Amino acid sequence: MRLFSCSRAFTLALVASIALPAFATVDDAHSFAMEAAVPFVEQGFIVREDYWNGEVKSGQKLMIKHQMFKGNEYAFWLGSANEDVTFELKVYDDKNKEITIDSKADKMFASMRVNPPKTGTYTIVFSVTSKKEKGIYWALAYGYR
Amino acid sequence: MKRSFFHLLTVLTVTSGLVSIHTAQAQAAKAGVQEFDPQAFPGQVVDDVVVPVPSEVFSVLDKLGEPNWQQELREIDFPKTGDRTKLALQFGMTVAEGFVAVQAEDKETVKDIGRDVIDLATALGLIKSVRPHAQAILDAADKGDWASIRKEFDQTQKTVRDTMEQMKDADLSQCVSMGGWLRGTASVTSVVSKNFNPDRAELLNQPMLVEHFISTIGKMGSSVKEHGNVSDISKGLKDILGKMEGAVDGFTKDAVRDIGKTCDTLLSGITAAK
Repeated sequence: MRLFSCSRAFTLALVASIALPAFATVDDAHSFAMEAAVPFVEQGFIVREDYWNGEVKSGQKLMIKHQMFKGNEYAFWLGSANEDVTFELKVYDDKNKEITIDSKADKMFASMRVNPPKTGTYTIVFSVTSKKEKGIYWALAYGYR
Repeated sequence: MKRSFFHLLTVLTVTSGLVSIHTAQAQAAKAGVQEFDPQAFPGQVVDDVVVPVPSEVFSVLDKLGEPNWQQELREIDFPKTGDRTKLALQFGMTVAEGFVAVQAEDKETVKDIGRDVIDLATALGLIKSVRPHAQAILDAADKGDWASIRKEFDQTQKTVRDTMEQMKDADLSQCVSMGGWLRGTASVTSVVSKNFNPDRAELLNQPMLVEHFISTIGKMGSSVKEHGNVSDISKGLKDILGKMEGAVDGFTKDAVRDIGKTCDTLLSGITAAK
């Protein structure tokens, strides 16, 4: 009985380690997004505590509507808990024109800035693509100054 | 916001017309056109809305002039109640008042609001998770560390909302957001009305947030949705949305004043004993 339990636990652990990267969580994704925020905080950006997160299929595009105010500069930070991923992160105005400036990407996160030309609703479109993983944990945070 | 794994269940998957979209995307990429068609978006729409904190709007007002934030502070005296819906609305309102006090750099008011946060969190049964933030607000107020206070108010609100959601009180969590938005918007209309100009007034162009709140109320359980304050808010928000949608050529002074009046009336209801 004990042997069965041990082997079963081992099998479960093995399956889990194949299905997901070791210990990767959405919280890790947020931690990486916050790592991306560090240089922006040094430049005076105030980081919002609320953020979006979840799990998505690799390469699947996600769209978020967000309120921004003309006169503020915004920065968005997209983090992933998965390694070897590529990021796409863009913001569009109400006429569906891209207004992203200064986008950058690293291994575990991407960032970009926006100077909204008007106060109103903007559309953020992003994806995280992995060659290895099917499911990706992601978190998108933002700040303003 | 931490709905993590279950997030996939709350997003809407748009799958129709994939082939034509891929073709259109390829053409757009080839032409270097950075546009997209949201109606034909080949992905998932994340329904969650992050509501801006009042200081996001206040910071713009500061850049456009020097509002007298001290004048915008309001004394809040909540009557004792065990009504959790009212308490949640009051909690959001109080945190928003905290952001006004930070803008005014008023240490004593920030401390008073920190103590109100403790009282309301106690009444809501959430003091354990709120106390560290409230204490941090009181400590930072002594030092005049406004950046930390701002951060703690944001964290306090998030902690309360997250805890409510963990306790299956998602409707109350939304009430916290609504109370905060109403108080923040009342301040904005007050500042804009005192020194009207189109740039300041444009800050009220927030129809997506108002639609989000109206839709959220529509999905609430009957005990919260039919609460007197919440049903009043639902009606008031529809009036506000009408004003926002009517401001095609910008907000008039009258429209700003009307939005402010509606917010004030709703806030009076939240602070009333019944």
